[in-house]
Amino acid sequence: MTAGPSGSSKVVPLRDAVTSALGPGDTVFLGGFGHCIPFAAASEIIRSGVSGLTVCKTGADIVLDLLVAAGVVDEIIVGWFGNPGIGSSHVIRRAMEDDGLRLSESTNFGLLLRLHAAELGVPYLPTRTLVGSDLRDRAHHVVQVNCPFTDEELSAVAALVPDVAIVHAQRADATGNVQMWGVVGDTLTGARAATRVLCTVEEIVPESRVRSAPELTALPAHRVDTVTAVPGGARPSYVDGHYERDAGAYELFQAGSRDASWVADLVAGIREGQEVTRWW
Amino acid sequence: MVVTDLQLAWNAATQLHDGERVFVGIGAPAIAAMIARRSHAPCISMLFESGVDCADPQRVPASTGSHEVASGAALHGSMLDAFSQLQSGRIDVGVLSAAQVDPAGNLNSTVIGSYEQPRVRLPGSGGAHDIAALARRVLVVMPHDPRRLVDQVDFVTCRGWDAARLRRVGGVLRRGPVAMTTERGLFTLQGAELTLSAVTAGGSASWALEGLSWVGESEVRELPPLPSDAHTRFDFDAPEGSR
Repeated sequence: MTAGPSGSSKVVPLRDAVTSALGPGDTVFLGGFGHCIPFAAASEIIRSGVSGLTVCKTGADIVLDLLVAAGVVDEIIVGWFGNPGIGSSHVIRRAMEDDGLRLSESTNFGLLLRLHAAELGVPYLPTRTLVGSDLRDRAHHVVQVNCPFTDEELSAVAALVPDVAIVHAQRADATGNVQMWGVVGDTLTGARAATRVLCTVEEIVPESRVRSAPELTALPAHRVDTVTAVPGGARPSYVDGHYERDAGAYELFQAGSRDASWVADLVAGIREGQEVTRWW
Repeated sequence: MVVTDLQLAWNAATQLHDGERVFVGIGAPAIAAMIARRSHAPCISMLFESGVDCADPQRVPASTGSHEVASGAALHGSMLDAFSQLQSGRIDVGVLSAAQVDPAGNLNSTVIGSYEQPRVRLPGSGGAHDIAALARRVLVVMPHDPRRLVDQVDFVTCRGWDAARLRRVGGVLRRGPVAMTTERGLFTLQGAELTLSAVTAGGSASWALEGLSWVGESEVRELPPLPSDAHTRFDFDAPEGSR
C-alpha cells in the first residue's frame, strides 16, 4: 500500500514565490554551476522591485551580471565572477568602479566551506586553504587558528547563512521534493545552508514518481519553501535531459554588455515582463 | 585547434604522468589533460571543481560545469567532493593558468595594478588559489607572452614558491608550482625560481626566453615532439560559438 501525500502543495506562481521569499537587504545564494542557472527566477527578482541584496556564489554566471545591472545588488560575495569560458564581466567591473558595488572575494573552496559550515550548523569550519597570498590578506571572514588537537595552523572560515537560495532543477513534486541530476557544483551546499529555498523546475511530477527514484532527490520537501514549474527556466544555460547551453547567447552578452545602455535596455525589457531570452 | 594552442597543450601534457589524479582548470590545462589521456597517460583521472570526476571530455569544455565536461564522466559529484580530495592530499597535480605569473611561481588572476584602484579587474581566484595551495604539485600553463610572464605579479592570488612551501600539510607534501610550460618550453623550479630547462622540439633557449627577464639553465634539453598524427588524434571539436 503506498503512502498518501506527505504535505500540502508548495506550488506557487513565480512572482508569489519571489515576493514571499525575498525581502530588502536579504543575502541570496544563486544555485546552478554552468548547469541549471536560474535565469527565470533572477528575472522575476528584478521585476519584484526588491533591492539592497547581497548575492553569494562561488563561481558566478552572467545571471549575476543581470541582477547587478538591474541595481538590486549592494554586495557580491564570490570566488569568481565573469562569463564562464569567455571572459571578464563588463557589468560588474563598471558597477564596482562607478556604482559602489561592494565585493567580498574569496576562493571557491573557502566560500564553499562558509556555506558548508552553515549547512552543518556550526559557526565555522577549519581548512588548509587561504594561507599566504594577497588574496588571503583581503579575504573577509577568515582568521588563522591552531587546531585544538594537533596545534597545526589552519584557516577558519565563518559560516555564511543565506536568507534565500534560488535553485533550478529538472523536476519536483508538488510537496517540494526536488530532484536534480548532472552538474551541481555548489548548488546543494548553498541550498542546504539557506534559511529559505525557492525552486524552479522544468516540470512538476507526481509524488509517486519521486518516491520511485529517491536517489535523484537532492532536496527533501521540508527544506523547500516554494516550487514553480518554469520550463526553460535556466535558458540560456543548459539542463540535463531538457536543453543545451546556447553558447551564442553568452557570446552575444559578452559583446553587448560592453555598452551600459545595451544592458540597461535589456534590464528594462525584463522589468516590462519580457522573457530573459530577449537578448538573443 | 590553432597550432600554437596545440603546442602549448602538448608541452603541458608531457608533464602529466599516466595514472595521476589531475585537478584541471579550463582552457589549456583541460586540453593538456585531454591530450595526455589520448597519448601517454590513458589512465589519468580528470577532476573538475564542478564535482565532475573521472571526466573524459570529447570536446573542448568552455567551463568546469559544462556539458562537455560532464558528458561521459564516471561520476557527477559536488564541488565539496572535488575540493575534499584536494585538501586531503589525494590530487597528484593541479593544472592552472593565470593572467600573470612570476619566476617564484606566484599567480595573479585578481587585478592588474593595485587592488584598490586596478587598471584591470580580473575575474578572481575561483578554485585557483585552492588548487595551488593543496595539490601535491602544480603545473602552470601559460602562453609565451612577456606581458604575462612578469618579474613580479601585481597581486598574489596564488602563492608560489617560498621557504614554507615544501611542507607537509596534513601529512602530505604540497610542493607548489614546480613547473610551467609555454608553447616554447618548460620551466622548472630551481632553488627559488622557475628556470628554463627544456624547449619545444626544434626550438632554442633564446627563443623560449625571448622578451623575458627569466633565466635558463646553461644546457636545455628538448621536450618530446608533437606526435606526427597530433592534428588528427587531438582533433577536439571546438565548442559551438567559441572564438
